[in-house]
Amino acid sequence: MNINRELLTLSYEQLQWLSPIAILLVGVLFVICVASVFNRGSKQITQWTSILSLFVTTLSSYSLLDTATPHLLFNGMLVLDKFSYFFFIVFNLSGAATILMSDRYLDLDEMNHIEFPILILFSVLGMMLLVSSADLISMFISLEIMSLSVYSLVAFRRNDRLSNESGLKYFILGGAASAIFLYGSALIYGATGSVRISSMLTAATVAQPSVLFALGAVLVVVGFLFKIAAVPFHMWMPDVYEGAPAPVTGFMTAALKAAMFATFIRVLIQLGFGKPQWNAFQTSIYQILWWSALVTMLVGNLAALPQNNLKRIFAYSSIAHTGYLLIGLITALKNQAVLGSTILYLVSYVITTIGAFGILSLLAKKGDTGLNVHDLSGLSQRRPWLAAALALFLFSMAGIPPTAGFIAKYSVFYAAVENGEIGLVIFAVLCSAISVYYYLRVIVFMYMRNPAEQATWRRPILTAVVAIAVVALLTIALGFSPSSLIEATGSLSLAQI
Amino acid sequence: MTFYIFAVIAVVFALTLIFKKNPVSSAFSLIVVFLSFAGIYAVLGAHLIAAMQIIVYTGAIMVLFIFVIMLLSADVPDLDYSRTSKTTKITALIGGLTLWGILTWMFKGAELTKTGTHTEEWITQSGGNTQVLSELLFSEYILPFELTSILLLAAIIGAVAIAKRKRGKKT
Repeated sequence: MNINRELLTLSYEQLQWLSPIAILLVGVLFVICVASVFNRGSKQITQWTSILSLFVTTLSSYSLLDTATPHLLFNGMLVLDKFSYFFFIVFNLSGAATILMSDRYLDLDEMNHIEFPILILFSVLGMMLLVSSADLISMFISLEIMSLSVYSLVAFRRNDRLSNESGLKYFILGGAASAIFLYGSALIYGATGSVRISSMLTAATVAQPSVLFALGAVLVVVGFLFKIAAVPFHMWMPDVYEGAPAPVTGFMTAALKAAMFATFIRVLIQLGFGKPQWNAFQTSIYQILWWSALVTMLVGNLAALPQNNLKRIFAYSSIAHTGYLLIGLITALKNQAVLGSTILYLVSYVITTIGAFGILSLLAKKGDTGLNVHDLSGLSQRRPWLAAALALFLFSMAGIPPTAGFIAKYSVFYAAVENGEIGLVIFAVLCSAISVYYYLRVIVFMYMRNPAEQATWRRPILTAVVAIAVVALLTIALGFSPSSLIEATGSLSLAQI
Repeated sequence: MTFYIFAVIAVVFALTLIFKKNPVSSAFSLIVVFLSFAGIYAVLGAHLIAAMQIIVYTGAIMVLFIFVIMLLSADVPDLDYSRTSKTTKITALIGGLTLWGILTWMFKGAELTKTGTHTEEWITQSGGNTQVLSELLFSEYILPFELTSILLLAAIIGAVAIAKRKRGKKT
């Protein structure tokens, strides 16, 4: 009956495991101080210190990547394993890319405030804590750190009604989803007597899990499905994506989705998945995910067809990609050995969307206008490199070789077929075929229409060009020689704690 | 028995909170809801939580709520529900009733026997609610405790970022 009264004493070794989180936390506090001390010209300094702290965090996570066994810290509230460190790198790099690409965009709308990089840093910190939480309380709090920063980023265009509306919408619906998640956690606590996710394993793997526990687990799953915008919990997404500033939309699509998926996988593995034998409770969770994947792919792709605004197209395509990712998730639940292909998909999707939204941020006119498909007419004549890069990212999203998107889709579908999800895969391939239409439509406008007389686009700044070039090169490189990433993601696995 | 009294009060005032059109009376309904929550916590033996519920929620947060309502919307007319369409109302009703049905059905079959490590006897043995809670906050639950401070900092900065509007052309 005695609780572990371990006070906050961290050994040197534990501190080392914790170093990515600690570095970023110190980084955020340092950036806040710097931003307040230097009044004039603080924007540049804030941006560069933020990027610096993100890169240092990336390096420290990279140095810890060969962690073999999971480390439990803070009485088992935080689990730091290879999986966490890998996703730390993904989050930090996408945060850095977002800051690099957003500078001129924010200037244009006179909203280049020092809070922007600080809020990005906070949400990255929240994601890192979220993906390494081994406890429902810390999971909820880190989820809120991440979400609150992103809510404010969505409403960042203060004087615009659309941005304010989407911020409020996201805040209220996200709050509702958090409440559902919290209620589910409370029921799990009521059923198991513990908030550690390790307690979920024993409660879920008995032959007949208690009704209370099952209800709690289903509510937690619903909370996750909301956050990754799976159908039928997707209604908030297009409006929020359209109203949010373009770089923020990219950050949300990429990093936030990756964080939620990674955490979702951790929770599901903890519910006793990852091996072929399931009890009735696990089968019903599987059925929820199966149907959700099916409907998500269908709705996402069909709803994207009539859209004209690029941000809305990407929003619906993001819903469709959630569907493909759910297939990967379902396959990983059957056989944990193929978890790597799901993570590969996640990473290549993150890279592609960060790049695509970086270009949208460069193309956007004041007030986020000029992002309709016909506004891009003749882009290839005025800004050939940007057009080529956007075309590359669109090809990657559609899954056309030789891009990262193709390799990712191929490996997820291959793994799914091998594990007996042939029906879902056939459906997914048909849906991808539909999706080619709306991706190619953008390319047709860019390359086969003449530009309007007065159509001009800003000259992109150097930092954004460098960031986009790196992302584009990654997309091609992964398409041609994916073996290193496949190896890296393939070695990730989640242990049941 | 006492639980049911507080529970009924909470539900009734939660309903008036939603259906009252005047924001101030909604806010006062919320105060009653919070007070009855405090009552439920006290019935459960969590006296510290009950006291904190009254001080923090009913006291501090509600004063802020009412202050903001008075400041901002003193001249704003009452909320208008007539714009909500009939289909929205009906689907909301159906959804709410379904959820209620599912929860009742689930809880009827559930047995609440499992308890955590912190039983009532254990708490009295180790020196009462306040001591146990504070010791736990600084030992077992130190991480969530510290994370909450990060959360608050992020929330403050986010609020500043949204609320700080540009005044005129010059700054």
